[in-house]
Amino acid sequence: MWIQENMELNEKLEILADAAKYDVSCTSSGSERRGKPGQLGNAVKAGICHSFSADGRCISLLKILFTNQCVYDCRYCINRRSNDVRRAAFTPEEVCRLTVEFYRRNYIEGLFLSSGVLESPDHTMDLLFQTLWKLRCEYGFNGYIHVKAIPGADPELIRMTGLLADRMSVNLELPTSEGLRMLAPSKSRSRILAPMRQIQRGIAAGKQEIVPRKGFRSFVPAGQSTQMIVGATRDSDFQLLAVAEALYRNYEMKRVFYSAFVRVNDDSLLPALPGGPPLLREHRLYQADWLMRFYGFRADELLTEDRPNFNLFLDPKCDWALRNMNRFPIEVNTADYAELLRVPGIGVRSARRIIAARRGSRLDFPDLKKMGVVLKRAAFFLTCGGRMMYPVRMDADAVAARLVGEEQRRAWDIEHRDAYRQMSMFDDGFLNPAPAPEDAGSVLSGQM
Amino acid sequence: MTVFVCRDTFEGILCGVYDGWTSGLGHDNVCLEIEDTGNVRMFADYRRVEEEDWKFLRVEEAVIRRAGRKTCGMVYRASLSREEEKADRIYRFLIYALSAGRDAAERLQIPAVNAVFQMNRSVENEANRLIEFLRFRQIAGGALLAVAAPKNDVIALTVPHFVDRMNAENWIICDKNRRKAAVHRSMGSTVTVHIPDGAFWEKLAEPGDQQEFEELWKTFCRSIAIGQRTNPRCQMNHLPLRYRPYMTEFT
Ligand code: SF4
Repeated sequence: MWIQENMELNEKLEILADAAKYDVSCTSSGSERRGKPGQLGNAVKAGICHSFSADGRCISLLKILFTNQCVYDCRYCINRRSNDVRRAAFTPEEVCRLTVEFYRRNYIEGLFLSSGVLESPDHTMDLLFQTLWKLRCEYGFNGYIHVKAIPGADPELIRMTGLLADRMSVNLELPTSEGLRMLAPSKSRSRILAPMRQIQRGIAAGKQEIVPRKGFRSFVPAGQSTQMIVGATRDSDFQLLAVAEALYRNYEMKRVFYSAFVRVNDDSLLPALPGGPPLLREHRLYQADWLMRFYGFRADELLTEDRPNFNLFLDPKCDWALRNMNRFPIEVNTADYAELLRVPGIGVRSARRIIAARRGSRLDFPDLKKMGVVLKRAAFFLTCGGRMMYPVRMDADAVAARLVGEEQRRAWDIEHRDAYRQMSMFDDGFLNPAPAPEDAGSVLSGQM
Repeated sequence: MTVFVCRDTFEGILCGVYDGWTSGLGHDNVCLEIEDTGNVRMFADYRRVEEEDWKFLRVEEAVIRRAGRKTCGMVYRASLSREEEKADRIYRFLIYALSAGRDAAERLQIPAVNAVFQMNRSVENEANRLIEFLRFRQIAGGALLAVAAPKNDVIALTVPHFVDRMNAENWIICDKNRRKAAVHRSMGSTVTVHIPDGAFWEKLAEPGDQQEFEELWKTFCRSIAIGQRTNPRCQMNHLPLRYRPYMTEFT
């Protein structure tokens, strides 16, 4: 009997994982929670990756749709109503069993549950709520849960679901209202932003509680995230980045994800993309996103209305440095942390190491290598004890020529799906690979 | 040169440090070696380290007091490294760290510090990888069993993680290379045991219970990849081949 049942479950899983794969936000970060006696699971702040799929992206959560049936017809989406694809729906029990059994075997950190819109937003949101409730309360699951808020659903349902989840997200998908009107006529900017605002307020209200009420769960403790599709419309990199910056600032997003558009539907309003998904553009956006979140850059320092797209041959940090040669070189032994971070080839970790190490003695170029600095890039922007590594002073063009040679190879690699090699998040080729942060798989950025 | 030979444990190495330090021969004339590493020096005088709890505790206490708990943790992880010269590297590091104080571990420009930093880092990395990539399967009675073949002796570093998240399960994590295992009893304690018996290790390859979930997991891993972005090289960099024989989705 179970074989029949299991085959069915297997087929459902095949369909509903496949339908969820274009959502790129598969991180399990942001919550730190100890295990509870008798329950299954905990949560680790940095998140944990458990595997890497054939596309090199990390697998951290059981990422599935509850159902791929949908009443809407968004043009870019494989699950849109007008598509002739196999449809399936889980039951809440099935989702719970899969989550718990996968978790016990250390396959996953938890559940990522999204869904097409079945009947109505309220009905769908209610199904997601029921599933989470069962998983937390009946199955005693204490691991990570990321759930979608369905735009248009009753705010009370969203609130109750958020009390059971670690992270919630609503995807913006397209950066401009025009883009949405054209490709997702049933969605609108305001309909998407409303639940985002609600989640933001819910999180803020939770933080005001001085003493967490015993027995009460906090609302979306790992914060919210969102995703934008790159290259489905004509929007520029600057538009995407400016929107991301606004989302971080005005909606306190934990993460904005970028998803290179994959043309799954033959639709005259969609770009043809003969070269495949715009992976290099996506990569540059992630790099710029890192620069905004960890390196203190603003969107308008990296791009402007007149220069709205990223340089394909240089990463955004090198590009910025070359446009600002007057700020360099800086002295390693005296520069502050913020200044060090702006140097190409110095990352968050190497900047911290430099600050810690120079308390002991003055640093010279060979020492920097031990701190994990990529001298190939950094050498043009630094002095050690007043000396530059290369005795001749080079202008921006000469430095650019040197940097482009190296970067071009990497850029070529990315478009040819062959890259990501020396690109862990904060580190570089010299040190052993850093404990792979879970989003290094999809979200990469070099030691910039 | 006088060589102090110690056992391949944190306690053994710290006792070696004690003996070397207090021998009165001078740091430059002594060195530490792990037993059975097979490097015999022609003109060296070999001495076996006598392990005593009080020696170990004295050194550990001195490290914590003078260089801090963080540094002591770093030395502990370095002691789990597979590097043959680890004992002497730790000795050289402690000579520096006990005089330089709490920041000592951050002076990566000092070779003795860098050597221990690197060992610590690769041990930490491998422990983290194992936390990610370890796969359990269910065996008779509902217990969970995981097998790994780590290069460094890192099983102990993964135990607190699994004890916290799976305290109500019975589980075993086996280190095939060292023939030892961490065994956890539901809601109870966790112990490390050595299992020299070859038959036990042979049996580990046998299939477990509830294989339908193993099949479902493989289905999931296949379905979640985006065909248009296939990138085996990237997959390889994040998930080196040596882990895969023990991972459900690659078997
Ligand atoms: S609402 Fe979501 S699932 Fe439905 S068509 Fe639009 S993007 Fe696809």
